[in-house]
Amino acid sequence: MSAISIQSVSKRFPNGCEALMGINAEIQPGSFTVVLGPSGAGKSTLLRVLNGLEASTGGSVRIGGETLGKGNLRKLRASVAMVFQQFNLVDRLSVVTNVLTGRLAHRSWVGSLFYLFRTEDMEVARQALARVGLTDKAWSRADKLSGGQQQRVGIARALAQRPKVILADEPVASLDPVASEEIMALLREIRDRDGITVVVNLHQVDLARRFADRIIGMNGGRVVFDGTPAELSPQALRTIYQREGMEHDNSLDLALAYA
Amino acid sequence: MNIEQLKSTRPPLPPKPRNPMPVWVATTLVTLWLIVWDLDISFEALVYGVADMGEYFSRYGQPDFSDLSRYLELMGITLATALWGTVFALLVAFFLAPLAARNFAPNPVAYRVAREILNFMRAMPDLLLALIFVAALGLGPLPGALALGVHTAGFLGKFFAESLERVDQGVCEGVAATGANFPQRVMYAGWPSILREALGYTLYILDRNVRMASVLGLVGAGGIGLALHDTLRLFDYGQSGALILVILATILIIDYASAWLRGRLG
Amino acid sequence: MTTVSIWRWPTPSGLPPLPLVGGALALLGALWLTAPVVEVDFVRLLGALGRMVAFAGQMFVTPDWHYVPQLLAKMLETIEMTVLGTAIAIVVSLPLGLLAAGNATPHPLVYRITRDLLSLMRALPELVWALVFVSAVGLGPLPGVMALAFVTVGFMGKFFAEAIEVVDHKAVEGVRAHGAGWLQVRLFAMLPQALPDFVGTVMYILDHNLRAAAILGLVGAGGIGYDLVMSMRLFQYDRLLLIALAIYLVVTLLDRLSDRLRSRIIHGARA
Repeated sequence: MSAISIQSVSKRFPNGCEALMGINAEIQPGSFTVVLGPSGAGKSTLLRVLNGLEASTGGSVRIGGETLGKGNLRKLRASVAMVFQQFNLVDRLSVVTNVLTGRLAHRSWVGSLFYLFRTEDMEVARQALARVGLTDKAWSRADKLSGGQQQRVGIARALAQRPKVILADEPVASLDPVASEEIMALLREIRDRDGITVVVNLHQVDLARRFADRIIGMNGGRVVFDGTPAELSPQALRTIYQREGMEHDNSLDLALAYA
Repeated sequence: MNIEQLKSTRPPLPPKPRNPMPVWVATTLVTLWLIVWDLDISFEALVYGVADMGEYFSRYGQPDFSDLSRYLELMGITLATALWGTVFALLVAFFLAPLAARNFAPNPVAYRVAREILNFMRAMPDLLLALIFVAALGLGPLPGALALGVHTAGFLGKFFAESLERVDQGVCEGVAATGANFPQRVMYAGWPSILREALGYTLYILDRNVRMASVLGLVGAGGIGLALHDTLRLFDYGQSGALILVILATILIIDYASAWLRGRLG
Repeated sequence: MTTVSIWRWPTPSGLPPLPLVGGALALLGALWLTAPVVEVDFVRLLGALGRMVAFAGQMFVTPDWHYVPQLLAKMLETIEMTVLGTAIAIVVSLPLGLLAAGNATPHPLVYRITRDLLSLMRALPELVWALVFVSAVGLGPLPGVMALAFVTVGFMGKFFAEAIEVVDHKAVEGVRAHGAGWLQVRLFAMLPQALPDFVGTVMYILDHNLRAAAILGLVGAGGIGYDLVMSMRLFQYDRLLLIALAIYLVVTLLDRLSDRLRSRIIHGARA
């Protein structure tokens, strides 16, 4: 059974924009998939449909066999964690509290309203923080950390959920090359050690090539490539990054040559 | 080349946009004049009044502090009334504001209803509410506290809701994506993000409530307002002066304290 | 391995942060101490609930339609008081704002005196000033307008002063460099920069003053306030309902208008 089953998913925004046009894909458990494509291709929208942040206007999404709908959002979101480009941490709260928000969907929630957590939850958070190497920053306020550190907190929050799937929406777009490398390596390591399915949105071809098992190329709301990094030929790249009205000259190839 | 030739070769300027200002100014002045006429405000009375004002205010010049201890006691009751009113408002606003914030409200119906309730609470003047509560509860400071609480709950709720709506969407999504439900999203993405603002608003409302509490006594809702009403009616300027000074001093102290506190927070 | 979970807070000590606990305890202490003063009695409240519901029921009687013309006249008077009082206040507070601004005032003493004066004017609620002015000029809308204007000057004066103080120096220098006189510098360089925030603040003031004007009648200073209190005292619920409704409608209308205007300004006015 696929970890995520995407069936003819379309998304049309109220302003008429068709962000997704009939996407089909099966994400296997324990795989590391990179969704590659230019801005506006629909990568973000696709990922956001997968955890219900956007509702699809057509087709369906199945997480572990269960169809995503209004009723089971909380339950399914508990097993599908998300890492964001802008980190999306609560600035005022400490790193630990941010990581603990990953435990909010688990078991009874009344205590959490008073910021009370069980020892087990604290332990999960502690382990997650240790995993991303931020134990010494545990009690700092989230906004006092650097970009790379904040993203690691984001990943710790995702880990705290003990998820089956981690979705990462352009996790390194706001980071410098070194931090980007660290984050991608961390995500890969999480997949290798814990067997968590990872789906990452990227626009950096180089990172995609080096970290992915499988690359899904998107352009204009459609899947235009689905294969291994080895199969990602310059031809394929051109298809992915082709924009309407672009002249068929060398400029695109040149740009992609160093990507 | 002479001027004529220069003028003819120059591209014509675009038409000057019509300046609406004179129209606005004229309309405003006319409206104001109509109002003065309708209210039958006699400038003579005003001028005489202002001329007399100097003499009138001098009557307050010798404040009579003989009853000071009673005044201070009344002021204390007034302050306590304001405190309770503010706390009540805070409680109500705490629960209603997230429902009245578009980005947190669990469904559009709850949002609309919460908004309307808050608007209603705001629209009713505290005085009217105080009158109603006095009728229901009898005289004393409690109806005053309730009236203040209900009225300012509307304000506080609206301020909080507007602050909550300004919380960064990404932060809300970050918490929502973990599977948090409505109360959890409010407690983790909502309140922590607006804490500073929320405290500022609360202090502002407390300040405002102290002022209003001092007047609600006029309808029997306890406090110093009633005393002032009585002394003025008896034309006892000495005591009135003293009362006004007590009220003034208290309000100024609260003002400074709340400004200081808000400075500490900001 | 314990089977019972221990709950704790996400802090190093496991306890909630000290300032939070301290603040909460202080507040609870203050409330507990003042409860008897405010005569807080939950039993009494619950009992009163029944009475309030009964009262609400009594309110919904056939309205006294004959009262409508007077109601409209009084509401109009209330609105007029608000507008006039606010307008006068704006005019008066402009020069006072200049005097109370650190960078525009002619003399530090003038600055201090004006600032304190403005503080005083806003300190007391409108109703108190109305009481005083009724005592001075008699009953009617005049003392009401004066009271509203007085407090508004206190507020707007401070607003202008603060807006002038954060004015861009370069613009001021530019005008000065062209040889502008003392008054001209203030009129043409400082004031125009302070004006954009102005409209939003005026809407807020109008909103506040309308609510204040609605109750000034209580002390005879014009507006619907007198009728409001009287209908309550005389148990004329058929009028009270109309009055409450009228106040609610007018206040809400102004509220929506001011919201719309404010969002128009924030999101770009028409050129």
